[in-house]
Amino acid sequence: MDAVVFQSVSKTFRHRPALFNWLGRERGGETIALKDVSFSAAPAEVLALLGPNGSGKTTTLKLISTMLLPDAGSVRVAGCDTRGDSGLVRRRVGIAIATERSFFPRLSARENLDFFAALDEVSRRERRERIAEVLSETGLEEQSDTLVMKFSSGMFQRLGIARALVKRPAVLLLDEPTRSMDAATTAHFWTTIRALAKQKTTILIATHNFAEATAVADRLLLLHHGELLADRRVLEHENADELRSFYFRMTGEIDEAALRI
Amino acid sequence: MTSTIDKLQAILRRDLLTAVRHRSGFVVTLVGVFLELAAFYFLSRAIGPGFRPGGVEYFPFLLVGTGLYTFFVMSAQAFLSSVQEAQQTGTLEVLMTTSTAPSELIILSSISAFARNLVNLAIYVFAGVAVFRASIQANFFSCALVLVFSLAIALALGIAAATLQVAFQKGSSVLWLLSSGLWLLSGTMFPTQSLPRPLEYVSRMVPFSYAIDGMRRALLEGQSPAAMSGTLAMLAAFALVLLPLALIALSLSLRRARQNGTLSYY
Repeated sequence: MDAVVFQSVSKTFRHRPALFNWLGRERGGETIALKDVSFSAAPAEVLALLGPNGSGKTTTLKLISTMLLPDAGSVRVAGCDTRGDSGLVRRRVGIAIATERSFFPRLSARENLDFFAALDEVSRRERRERIAEVLSETGLEEQSDTLVMKFSSGMFQRLGIARALVKRPAVLLLDEPTRSMDAATTAHFWTTIRALAKQKTTILIATHNFAEATAVADRLLLLHHGELLADRRVLEHENADELRSFYFRMTGEIDEAALRI
Repeated sequence: MTSTIDKLQAILRRDLLTAVRHRSGFVVTLVGVFLELAAFYFLSRAIGPGFRPGGVEYFPFLLVGTGLYTFFVMSAQAFLSSVQEAQQTGTLEVLMTTSTAPSELIILSSISAFARNLVNLAIYVFAGVAVFRASIQANFFSCALVLVFSLAIALALGIAAATLQVAFQKGSSVLWLLSSGLWLLSGTMFPTQSLPRPLEYVSRMVPFSYAIDGMRRALLEGQSPAAMSGTLAMLAAFALVLLPLALIALSLSLRRARQNGTLSYY
């Protein structure tokens, strides 16, 4: 059975301007985030979601995590529908979103992880061991007892990933996971992702980083204006530059960096 | 059940740690309690011993009224603030993706907010009795019954405020409107019989007026549960109706927010 199945999913966000809109210039109307998107992910597969800002990558992750519900179509995780069986889906999915500050500032990293692990029903017996494990995987052991209000962006990002990992999800969703990470941490993180995939975790990564996509992904999904433009395997020995040219060719956008060269 | 207790412990621990790490917060609360009680004490002295609403001295009357009113409003406010803060930081969205059902999470979080304010209420009443010599004649069993029903009603108010916050991002405004109305109609500072007849009728539909009246009768007059069965029955009826209604409304508003993508709007 596929770990994730997206079947003809559409999602539109409607913006209703404020009552006294003549006082300002708030835009009304709607944004089509996803248009009839279908794909599936097998167990242990790593998928990279590529696409420009506003293409629907984060919406895709949020739909799988049950943060959002689809307007049309269905999203299934291990056969469970996100609309009807959201509780079962949430037990299987871990998500690290790009919001850095989604922690309790006056708790330490370890205390934050302990809190979220309790809500994720990790037994008290296992919690200590798992928290130590994810702190090590994300390189946060030294900062484990620091209050998170003192954290940098990169540390917040790593803590978000640790939080997603602590429940040992069958499906791991990562939104721009290495955006604020330094080079060494990024390399270590990519190794962790491949190791998780070997342990049968399905991983979806929304990223703008072509090197990341070629380093960790088995497959690429290219989204543009809410439509799925491409769904293909990462070619053997495909490098970041080749993927970059594929991306610009498919999206029709202009690669200004290439023009400068 | 074990997992629910575990989650409640985690939430209580989070809130306790956050509270103690705001080092001055507890001291400020204590000073606030004493200043408020002093103001009510001197107000009752200024009015004089002749004013005995419901046959009790005015200071104990105020002590129970304002103590319970503050408990209701501050609990709902504390709960609402935690939802608003979670929206602003993005924690709410993440919390909604944990294995804990959203309604269970909200109820457990509210228990924590209410526990803190229950401690504040106990300090308030204790200080009123110990420092300002308010005379009480408590029937503790009646007090406990009133408190249990009051907690259920206050929980419903807190959940309703959270619902409005999730649905319209306007929980604070609605709570302010409600608390102002309650201040007028629930008999906090004066007996509801002093209100014009139409407003007196409206006050009979306000659950907090029964809670405050019940607590005064239990704490200040020592009435038994049998003697105040009518009030207790009304409180139980309000709790049985309002709590499920608030939970249904919350569940619907969360579903709507997930559909519209407005869970983290504030």
